[in-house]
Amino acid sequence: MNVMESAAMGVKTRLNVNTIVKGQSVTKTFADGSVVALSGADFEIEKGSFVSLVGPSGCGKSTLLRLISGLIEPSSGSVNVKGENVVGPRDDVGLMFQKATLLEWRTALENVLLPTEVKRKITHDDEKRAYDLLKLVGLEDFVFSFPAQLSGGMQQRVALARLLQTGADILLLDEPFGALDEFTRERLNIELMRIVTEIEATTIFVTHNISEAIFLSDKVVVMTPRPGKIASVVEVPLERPRSPKMQTSVEFNKLVEHVRDLLGEF
Amino acid sequence: MVLGFRAFQGKHTKRIISHALIFIALLICWESASNFGLLDEYLYPKPSGIFHSFWVIYVKNASIWHHLWVTIGLVLLGFVGGSIAGVSLGSLVGFNPTMRRFLQPYIIVIEATPRIAVAPLLIAALGFGIQSKVAIIILVCFFAPFINTLSGVINVGNDKLELFKSLGATKRQILVKLVFPEALPTIMAGERLAMTAALSGALVAEFIQRDQGLGSLILLYSRNLNMSSAFACIFTLTVLGFFIFKGMEILDRRIAFWTYEAGRIQRSNKKARKTLNLLEVGHG
Ligand SMILES: Nc1ncnc2c1ncn2[C@@H]1O[C@H](COP(=O)(O)OP(=O)(O)OP(=O)(O)O)[C@@H](O)[C@H]1O
Ligand SMILES: [Mg+2]
Repeated sequence: MNVMESAAMGVKTRLNVNTIVKGQSVTKTFADGSVVALSGADFEIEKGSFVSLVGPSGCGKSTLLRLISGLIEPSSGSVNVKGENVVGPRDDVGLMFQKATLLEWRTALENVLLPTEVKRKITHDDEKRAYDLLKLVGLEDFVFSFPAQLSGGMQQRVALARLLQTGADILLLDEPFGALDEFTRERLNIELMRIVTEIEATTIFVTHNISEAIFLSDKVVVMTPRPGKIASVVEVPLERPRSPKMQTSVEFNKLVEHVRDLLGEF
Repeated sequence: MVLGFRAFQGKHTKRIISHALIFIALLICWESASNFGLLDEYLYPKPSGIFHSFWVIYVKNASIWHHLWVTIGLVLLGFVGGSIAGVSLGSLVGFNPTMRRFLQPYIIVIEATPRIAVAPLLIAALGFGIQSKVAIIILVCFFAPFINTLSGVINVGNDKLELFKSLGATKRQILVKLVFPEALPTIMAGERLAMTAALSGALVAEFIQRDQGLGSLILLYSRNLNMSSAFACIFTLTVLGFFIFKGMEILDRRIAFWTYEAGRIQRSNKKARKTLNLLEVGHG
């Protein structure tokens, strides 16, 4: 780890009013401690920022997201959201998986309404909001389609609309478009960036793809496996809004190379 | 361990016509074979004789109706009983891992034993009468709903469970909004098998207790060597079986509609018609 990055990480030990998610020596083991999925992770995520987690398979990216979402509890250390210890799923934290995970017996609209339905009785306004979200992700012609009638990319967009319907302002996305083709993925990524900026959400985004991580993020968290840990955090000083053309710039490619080197060291 | 089938896709008029022609040809062959003495008329009655018997038992003295209703009633009673037993036991075992581990060997034993073999014991225990008949049917038709409910309930996707948990859903909501609908197509496949089994079970019950019903009627006619009437009963059962099969298929298409292309399209259009105007208000 070079000096600059250590310094950047050092900042995080100070109290930061803008911090919305915070982890302190978070460790998660499985199988009675024999598998260390995440080891002593310290992190702070700034409100409204877009942070990517990159790293090889098995380095604990999904585990970290599941810890923040409250689906699992750390074996030791603590995770804080808005200053509160995370003890279970929270309304202000939304999670989206690699697979769309839609309910096959519900239309796109009904799938998007699920998060609200779990909380309270659906109102007409809820339906309208869900409808608007489907429009937002470009599915106005498929509002009443069942998942089996949608392509993989469309299903993923329904899942994105469902995530937004939760009203959460902290969005956790675990390789959300990983199973899609390059074109669709890029389109959805740009759409996602636009939406999260608009709703001022804090986004934590897991990916295998270094360019994708840099293109989207304010910060890229580089993770390494066995045991899974946070190796370094790379700031992305590219200006916003970002356009796909930026990916050919010298600055962008230097960052890609830098992250690749960091990953290659391990 | 999921049991199921999908059959009888689309009808084609052409196919029906050719089948009808072949069938008529077959009847003519059968009739002439009897007329020329190639078939023993006592054991293999002529089609014309069977048609005559149909006329006699359905219209002339209308003796079959009572038995037909008795059998249908018995099938429905047993089917409902077997389904309730199967689905509730299956859910119970499915939701309770400890119970599942404990019951696993017994389930295998029950699966390996032909359930019908226990029928005489049931009569010994419950005596002659409708109660033992229904018990026999429940016995033969409970297993498919049981095993399918069990596997439907335990095979709910982990990712879907996580989704519900991350949304903060209660146990009850997970059950009603996820586990039950997810298991429904599998349960329905079990129910279709159960219905077919119920009909066979009813006949066996009526063979054993020959007081009334189509089974006892077939037995009676065969003993009296009134084969054409026996055949009329058997063909009645064919038609009954067909309607039961079709009825279950229609039910399946309605209940587990999303597993059928046509069902999805139909529902999707219906919902669009019903809701779209409401949603468009204020959106120009
Ligand atoms: N529920 C679990 N039980 C046992 N081991 C687990 C469990 N979940 C994760 N692990 C282990 O923890 C480690 C990290 O898993 P995790 O899913 O977080 O990796 P990942 O970085 O998301 O990988 P990928 O990029 O392949 O999705 C792996 O070695 C995995 O085998
Ligand atoms: Mg993962």
